[in-house]
Amino acid sequence: MINEPAHSRLNLSLWQQSRQHFMKDRWGILGLLIVVLYLLVVIGVWFGLWGTEWSAISDDFNQGPSLQHWFGTNAIGQDIAERGIYATQVAFEVGVVVTVFAIFLGLLIGALAGFFNDTWIDGVLLWLMGVIDAIPFYLLVAAVAFAMQGHAWAMHLAMIAVFWTTTARLIRAEVIKLKQLAFVEAATAIGFNPVHLLFRHIIPNTNHLIIIQATIVFISAIKTEVILSFLGLGIKEGISWGLMIAEATNDIQAGYFNNFLAASLLLFILVIGFNLFSDAIQDALDPKLQKNHEKK
Amino acid sequence: MADTKYLLYLSLLVLLLSGCQEQQNTPEKNTADTEKVYRHSIDGKPTSLDPIKASSVYSNLLVVNIFDTLYSYQYLARPFQLKPNLATTMPQISDDGLTYTISIKKGVKFHPHPAFKDGVGREIVAADFIYSIKRSFDPKNRASGAWLWQNKIIGLDDWKQAGADYDKDVEGLKSLDDHTIQISLLQPYPQLIYSLAMGFAAITPREVVESLGAEFGSKPIGSGPFILDQFNSEAAYLLRNPDFRQEPLDLTAEGYSAARHEGYGLEALADRSPPFLDRLEVHFINESSSRWQSFTKGSEIHYTTVPKDKQNTVLLRKDPIELHPKITSEYHHSYGMEAGFVYHGFNMADPVFGYHPDAAQNNKNKALRCAIRSAHDWQQKNRAFYFGLGTIFPGIIPPAVPEYDADLSTASIEKDLMAAKKMLADNGWQTQNLPEFEYHVTGSVLQKQFFEQMRGFLNQVGYPNQKIKYHPYPSFGNFNQAIKNREAPFFFLGWTLDYPDAENTLQLFYGPNQTPGSNNFNYQNPAFDALFEQSSTMLPSAQRTALYRQMNQMVIDDCVVISGLSRKKIHLWHKNIITFPDREIVGGFHLRFVDVQ
Repeated sequence: MINEPAHSRLNLSLWQQSRQHFMKDRWGILGLLIVVLYLLVVIGVWFGLWGTEWSAISDDFNQGPSLQHWFGTNAIGQDIAERGIYATQVAFEVGVVVTVFAIFLGLLIGALAGFFNDTWIDGVLLWLMGVIDAIPFYLLVAAVAFAMQGHAWAMHLAMIAVFWTTTARLIRAEVIKLKQLAFVEAATAIGFNPVHLLFRHIIPNTNHLIIIQATIVFISAIKTEVILSFLGLGIKEGISWGLMIAEATNDIQAGYFNNFLAASLLLFILVIGFNLFSDAIQDALDPKLQKNHEKK
Repeated sequence: MADTKYLLYLSLLVLLLSGCQEQQNTPEKNTADTEKVYRHSIDGKPTSLDPIKASSVYSNLLVVNIFDTLYSYQYLARPFQLKPNLATTMPQISDDGLTYTISIKKGVKFHPHPAFKDGVGREIVAADFIYSIKRSFDPKNRASGAWLWQNKIIGLDDWKQAGADYDKDVEGLKSLDDHTIQISLLQPYPQLIYSLAMGFAAITPREVVESLGAEFGSKPIGSGPFILDQFNSEAAYLLRNPDFRQEPLDLTAEGYSAARHEGYGLEALADRSPPFLDRLEVHFINESSSRWQSFTKGSEIHYTTVPKDKQNTVLLRKDPIELHPKITSEYHHSYGMEAGFVYHGFNMADPVFGYHPDAAQNNKNKALRCAIRSAHDWQQKNRAFYFGLGTIFPGIIPPAVPEYDADLSTASIEKDLMAAKKMLADNGWQTQNLPEFEYHVTGSVLQKQFFEQMRGFLNQVGYPNQKIKYHPYPSFGNFNQAIKNREAPFFFLGWTLDYPDAENTLQLFYGPNQTPGSNNFNYQNPAFDALFEQSSTMLPSAQRTALYRQMNQMVIDDCVVISGLSRKKIHLWHKNIITFPDREIVGGFHLRFVDVQ
């Protein structure tokens, strides 16, 4: 797919090479466009440009799609498009919050475990990750969400509690690898203290992993939020694609598919878009994959 | 090797196709040729099967089938008519209306239990009834039905105050002999006889209650037509009581009318002694779509009410009601307006929306409640959730009772956004200072939509979304408990009449009945209470009706409740089931008359 000779990249930084690689990935660009489009939708909701009438009710029950109601209306006359659009913001909010905290926690714990590899600190942290990973994912998320019922951040905390371990394991492995490299040995020989070494020299070299992992956690968080909301453990007062699909369980019985189609379509496009984007980033940031492409 | 692989694929294909075979849409008659099984369904789960806690229609439905009550209702007669059940005849009432003498049937035995001598159920005696009523007054039991007899029976309230010692007598509850009960009242109580047909008055054996303790609620032992076999969160499984008294069914005496009841096969039940089933299963299916799937699948539940989301496919016409031929060809059906209603209520003990010690704030709170009521659109609710079939009426006296006032002002059930906004503004309520509005309800997709609609109404008078909170409970039992614990400032509930007398809804607002009693609103109005007490001793009359209507108006004026709507329920059941279902007036007695063809 990539036919460009390797020598033309010699003057480019790794980041520039990655960007160049990404820009040539058409599927990745499509994914990025989808993500940007959703982001614009979210920004519009934040600024009150659209999605403001998501909770408004009317007398027009179960209407089909029309110019006034793009996805029709639900059983109590709410505009499904407005709800779907507003739910995009809810999904992104959950995705961003969970991603930021889960990645931060995973990065910190993974880096500590990797840096203190083969010590009791590593042992304890690995044990903790093992314990969390041993519990079935949705069971743990549901249990935490249920235990903290009523708390506005229950679902977010439940997901953060689960999602950080994968990041931590990846970072730990990367840190162990980086510790063996010459630049770290040189920094140690110069006499940098361990904290400086870890935070200034090792962790910055895990950025590519963090970016890739963040995209994966982001979309996983959104999917999990939809599932939890569908089960009644997620969003309560607001609206979510999961709640719309839950509503659809009754609508479908009555022969109305608007809620189901709208929520499923919005989720499907976002997941596809983010997966394309995530794959492309992974390809662009992973030097090994780039080399493989170049060999082809 | 390749042959083996193809053989394996073929086997898998056969297996898959066998799973795709068409479901026969005929109900399973029996699990064994000799066994008659009927699977009933209800949309909620009882929290306890102890009669003294049978405060929901779900509990009551099972309680009246496991236990005996002195009286019950004629199977088919409408309006509802009482009849003797465990009692031999209707009570002998003294001329002053203060003494009721009731004879009970001889030889009726409790279900077997190890707590009885040799594990064999002993005969019910008058003392069992007295014990059962006392239990409602034992503070340790946290009973829900004491309101029925509070300040009514001589010495009963004093017995409670004196420590609820079951070995001590109550002057107003006497067993004249083993089979004769005498109830003496402080003042005439015309509704007493109705109360004796309720699950709360079901007769329990003392030795079993004492042996099981709190477990009695899940392992009840009575003397009714069915014996509880299993009870869990999904269903209750009951077996026929083989020792149930032989009482051949007299269809005429039960109110059979060919015009109303022909075509259901009820005639085949005549002169046979219930129960007719070997096993009765009552499935608790909250989600309407699941209930409908289970019903239409053919081999699962045999009965359902038509869920909201199926009304457009079931109904061909709604005025008058006509069902789709596909439905009528496959199922039996009946319909009618419920003897009850749905309403939204405020917990007046909550200082945010209810009573406040500061008079000015108290007035503000009242204005807030009235504004919320004016924002509520019953017509829209009726169309969205009840297919426009419900009957909307003002106040708390529903059309199902004779005291209903068809000429009462409908102002309290009309949506008036301008008036609502004005009320809020005039009383200093603005978006910034509006209190958080908590909507407590049993968690389900349907109830969430009720919440969403209520939120929509509130939005229209300026209530911001962030101040409207959805508070779901995992089951109706948890929700009900929260109401009894005064944790729900605003709730959406239905009330099914216990007896055909408006007193039954008015008592929901009588001060002394405050939670954990039946007054979920914790409404305290001395003028209301005085009228209630005055009317409570009166026999049906124009004067009593006038008092009832005055009380109704007080509740409307105080904006305690957003009421109400009487639903029209459509019952469907499989054609091989002989029944005439009923969920009204302490529903459940009809289950003993169900048969499977």
